[in-house]
Amino acid sequence: MKDFFKLFSSFFRVAMRQEMAYRGTYIAGQWICYGSTFLSLYILVSGFEELDGWNGAEVMVLYGLSLMSYAVGASFFFNFSSGLSRRIRSGEFDASLTKPIHPFLHEVFSAGYNVGYVSHFTISLVIIVIALSRLCYTPSPANILLLVLMVLAGSMVQAASLIASSTMSFFTVGNNPVMDFLLWDMKQFTNYPITIFPKGIQFILTFLLPFAFINFYPASALLGKTIPKGYPAVLPWLSPFVGLLVLVLSILLWNWGLSHYKSTGS
Amino acid sequence: MKKYWTVFKKSLKSETIYRPAALAGIAGSLLGFFMQVFLWKALLGSGARRDTSFSDMLLFIIINSFMLELTRTNVAGIIENSMIDGTISMELLRPMSYKTFLLMNALGKNTYGTLTRTVPILIISVFLISGTPLPNLYHFILFIMSAFLGILLMFEVTYLAGLSAFWLQRCWFIEFYLMGFERIFGGTMVPIWFYPEWLKKMSFFLPFRYMTFEPINFFLGKTPVEEAWFPILMALFWLMALNVLDKCIWQMAVKRLTVNGG
Repeated sequence: MKDFFKLFSSFFRVAMRQEMAYRGTYIAGQWICYGSTFLSLYILVSGFEELDGWNGAEVMVLYGLSLMSYAVGASFFFNFSSGLSRRIRSGEFDASLTKPIHPFLHEVFSAGYNVGYVSHFTISLVIIVIALSRLCYTPSPANILLLVLMVLAGSMVQAASLIASSTMSFFTVGNNPVMDFLLWDMKQFTNYPITIFPKGIQFILTFLLPFAFINFYPASALLGKTIPKGYPAVLPWLSPFVGLLVLVLSILLWNWGLSHYKSTGS
Repeated sequence: MKKYWTVFKKSLKSETIYRPAALAGIAGSLLGFFMQVFLWKALLGSGARRDTSFSDMLLFIIINSFMLELTRTNVAGIIENSMIDGTISMELLRPMSYKTFLLMNALGKNTYGTLTRTVPILIISVFLISGTPLPNLYHFILFIMSAFLGILLMFEVTYLAGLSAFWLQRCWFIEFYLMGFERIFGGTMVPIWFYPEWLKKMSFFLPFRYMTFEPINFFLGKTPVEEAWFPILMALFWLMALNVLDKCIWQMAVKRLTVNGG
């Protein structure tokens, strides 16, 4: 029995050490990868002094909010979203239907929290704090609360887009390129202020695929930047409500998909 | 030679199976292209600024996406996958060099990616570009030469990264490091012309700028023909240095090879 425990503890130590070594290099890699994006963007914008009225530090806040909200949204919903199609194919998903809680909640809980996004979160936090202090943003309790609220707003939109993208798994086997295009490629627009794009794209990103609420409107509210001409001035302040709304809509969409679900029977 | 040609053709052909993925790739690359066009329009305003005009930038975007497609495949991922599922034991038994086999594989994938993802951009940009964008004959030959070296250099670096799979079993996260270094020192996101001096200097000492950025400089005629020897020689130097290094590492790697099942 004593030997058994000794063996177990040594196995456990090795496993832990392996995991940590791997995590360490992974996190450092993510820092370098996203750090290089931040640096390139900063060099670009500050070299030209401004990008459509946004200076280097302001663009850092903009991109930082996009990455941070993704880190928050994805750490809760990435495993859930990317694993659903596999779980449906293997039949594991059917177990969620038999549990005494709602299948959506069971799926979210059982998919688990993704620790990997701690790297995205830390680097975006560092960048946002440095950029905001450069912009002389007063760290009063009210301002910090506003910042947290705006990050949450973006996170809800990010979560909604992950939930919506997984809904396709109920209809098609394997991944769906159209959905991937709408939800991944279109999201790239959030790297820059949407006012640099044509009016049609601004409209799509505000009212149809509300990715502008991930970071553009939240950052506009925080930094007092101008929004597209003719749009109601209250729009940036509505970000938390829009976030909540799209999150609810995406869950309704998911449930609608679920009601059309036919088990693979395996 | 014929057997390597077969590998190339097979790899090209296997890419064509995923039609929907190709369509999504085309849509995504067009979207990315337009996004960059709008970005540079907003940055440059209307007139020329900092000795760069909008049509210069447009050409940069086009040639950059062309070069990025030609150097896209990260063979580290291929090595890792065949380590995990054990196909590496079969691939090592083949009567061909494993490295050349990987190179041909990567070239096949890259050729397909270039054909599907940059040709639409080229067709559209015909309507956007004014004047004659093509370089003179000397610069064009230099562009072909340095693009060829750049493709090999990219392969060499990812191959070296992939060899670490023999020790780590996993190496997909090394891609993040490569992407980061390439973006900063290779000027794949922001051309190095706009860099601050210290970063510009650093980029000369690393292999990354010779992969895609120097070929673009030749195409745009930014590097005078008299100074062309420097980037070409540097690319050659890096190729040889990395080649020697990977030979040594390969010797150690095959001895360590452990295949789990397969």
